[in-house]
Amino acid sequence: MNREKVVFSFFMILALTLNFGFFTGDVDNPSHHNVYELFAVIVVNLIATVLKFGDRSQMGAMLLATSLVALVQLFSASIVWAYVVNIQGNVMTADTMSTIISLSGGAMIANFISVILLIIETSMMRH
Amino acid sequence: MSLVTSLIMRQMRVPIIILIMGYAISILGMVLAEGIDDQGNPWHMSFFDAFYFVSFTATTIGFGEIPYTLSNAQRTWALITIYLTVVAWFYSLGKIISLVQDPMFREALKENQFSQQLARIPDTFILICGFGETGHALAQALTERNIHTVIIEENDKIIQTLPLEDFPLVIPGFKGDARDPEKLIQAGLQDKKCAAVIAVTASDETNLKIAVTSKLLHPDICVVCRSELEEFESNMFSFGTDFVVNPFETFANIFAMAMHSPSLHLLYDWLTGVPDTDLTTPIYVKEGHWIICGFGRFGNDLYKQLLKSNVQVTIIDPSEEKREIFLNRPENKNNDFIIGTGFDAHTLTVAGVTKAVGLISGTDNDSNNLSIIMTARELNPDLFIVARHNKKSNEKLFEATQANIIMQPSEIIARKIRTLLVSPLMIAFLNKARNQDPSWANITISRIMGALGDSVPSIWTLHINEKEARALCQVLRLGRVIRVGNLLQNPRQRENQLEAVPLMLKRKQKLLLMPTNDIAIKSGDQILFCGTPGALRSMQWSQNDIHSLNYIMTYEDTHDAFIWRKVQQFIKRSDRRNRPRQKRHIMK
Repeated sequence: MNREKVVFSFFMILALTLNFGFFTGDVDNPSHHNVYELFAVIVVNLIATVLKFGDRSQMGAMLLATSLVALVQLFSASIVWAYVVNIQGNVMTADTMSTIISLSGGAMIANFISVILLIIETSMMRH
Repeated sequence: MSLVTSLIMRQMRVPIIILIMGYAISILGMVLAEGIDDQGNPWHMSFFDAFYFVSFTATTIGFGEIPYTLSNAQRTWALITIYLTVVAWFYSLGKIISLVQDPMFREALKENQFSQQLARIPDTFILICGFGETGHALAQALTERNIHTVIIEENDKIIQTLPLEDFPLVIPGFKGDARDPEKLIQAGLQDKKCAAVIAVTASDETNLKIAVTSKLLHPDICVVCRSELEEFESNMFSFGTDFVVNPFETFANIFAMAMHSPSLHLLYDWLTGVPDTDLTTPIYVKEGHWIICGFGRFGNDLYKQLLKSNVQVTIIDPSEEKREIFLNRPENKNNDFIIGTGFDAHTLTVAGVTKAVGLISGTDNDSNNLSIIMTARELNPDLFIVARHNKKSNEKLFEATQANIIMQPSEIIARKIRTLLVSPLMIAFLNKARNQDPSWANITISRIMGALGDSVPSIWTLHINEKEARALCQVLRLGRVIRVGNLLQNPRQRENQLEAVPLMLKRKQKLLLMPTNDIAIKSGDQILFCGTPGALRSMQWSQNDIHSLNYIMTYEDTHDAFIWRKVQQFIKRSDRRNRPRQKRHIMK
């Protein structure tokens, strides 16, 4: 068993599951989406991205790219949130919430691709 | 991404993850810790506030307790935040900085920078192996003529100081042993843009290895090699090295030229010298009794030349073995071989220094050479002295001896290779000039001096083809006659002559020395010119700009723009209408 692989897969799958957890629920209902969950998704995604640094294989490059896409999506979502609530000082509306959720949905697809790539890579390994 | 870079990136994972974790824990804690706002109600920081608070705390900026005074619970967590994040920062920064300073990583960065510089070279480049005195002089001369060069050199210090030197073009320097084919490839040997390889390291063996590698890995490349030993020279030629330059042989040939025809030697000196330096004066080598101190490669080559002119020669050398071989050869029967070093007055007197006309101090040790010159001058102040100068650092000393000819190997090689690469026609010109009678050289010298004044001229070759002389080709296609003299007219003021002299015209395989002004040029010709840099620039105008050429050829200014052309045609037409009929006929 490769310890590096375990840590690596753990963070990637955790990023996907947390992302899914934040994403589920009505798109425009703020009470269905927890801000702590978004925070956790971002942190786990950041770690998953850093774990891909310095991987020279083609698969490694693909995984780094998908993680970066997910990060861009999640950062946009959190910036929208911070802009509306903290900078403009408004309460969370259904409009804003749906923007945030659709952005996180995009991130989820990127994370999903990451996991698929991971599965392909694992299945291609011969023992 | 190179192996080293990816290794460094891999090692940066841990410090960055520690930083992320430190931030994440601190932010989460700050959000969860309960505080009290200014109205006394319970209050939690939002993620935005917490991120702001942790950011300025972690970086030790410390704006204070924002937005409301912190409660004790928040302060407790703030304490944890401070120690956690500040320590995480120190650890990560220290780790990252030490990784970036890793010698392996820096090496990788340098190699990366080198390949970028190589990629940025627009056309062809010349790879110089070995950046000693010769390599330096060559790089200077080539870059001054806008030819890109790349250096491969073993000595790290030389590569490091390369960017500090003031060359007209950026010279990418690669640190590596040129004997290693892998390094040569990295330095750009197999690059399509690599036009020539010059092997001028101090060792013949290394040069040989470079020549073999280059010919094997990039067969259609031009390879120029420095060689001092004959066995290496023939070896280099055996697999198709294009040019092998031997400093001693080259110098012996130049010396013979000076002996037979001082004016031809002067011409050679001017035309192969560094442009814009002062012109040298002619050297007159006397015939009579000569003494050669040191019978090595240098002494031997010069001896062969002296033998040809039937002068009496006495050789001084400490080797018994060489004496045996020397005296056994029948052609040496008139000449003497004395065992000795040559820097003591006794040996020199025995050799007949008081009656001799010339002395060659040709040992491979600079102190010995200097000592020989000083002793000999004391015994006979009128001696003509040829000094072999081995190390550049002794330059001032040799200048002070006021020897008549100073031979410096690296300079001779640089001059030869420069001529080979920059103006290949010049070699043909000099070979042809050798067969002319002495008065020819005198006439040529006075022509060059008359046209150019007293600094060493630039040399350039004009190829009459679409690429280099667009306007000329265009006009030639129309069937008009352009003469050599037209090229020498100033495109600004056609009555004035440019400060340039045509030296040779090459048409297919035929070479014509000193073409006269009335010779009509043809497409495909090559003309070798010498002249001032300003003349070169002006000449390029009339070669490539159709209007300048028209101005020279037809005595009228043409205009390119549509309206101007129409106006001109209109003026011409009305001119014709006003002119009497007969006169028009004559004009035609």
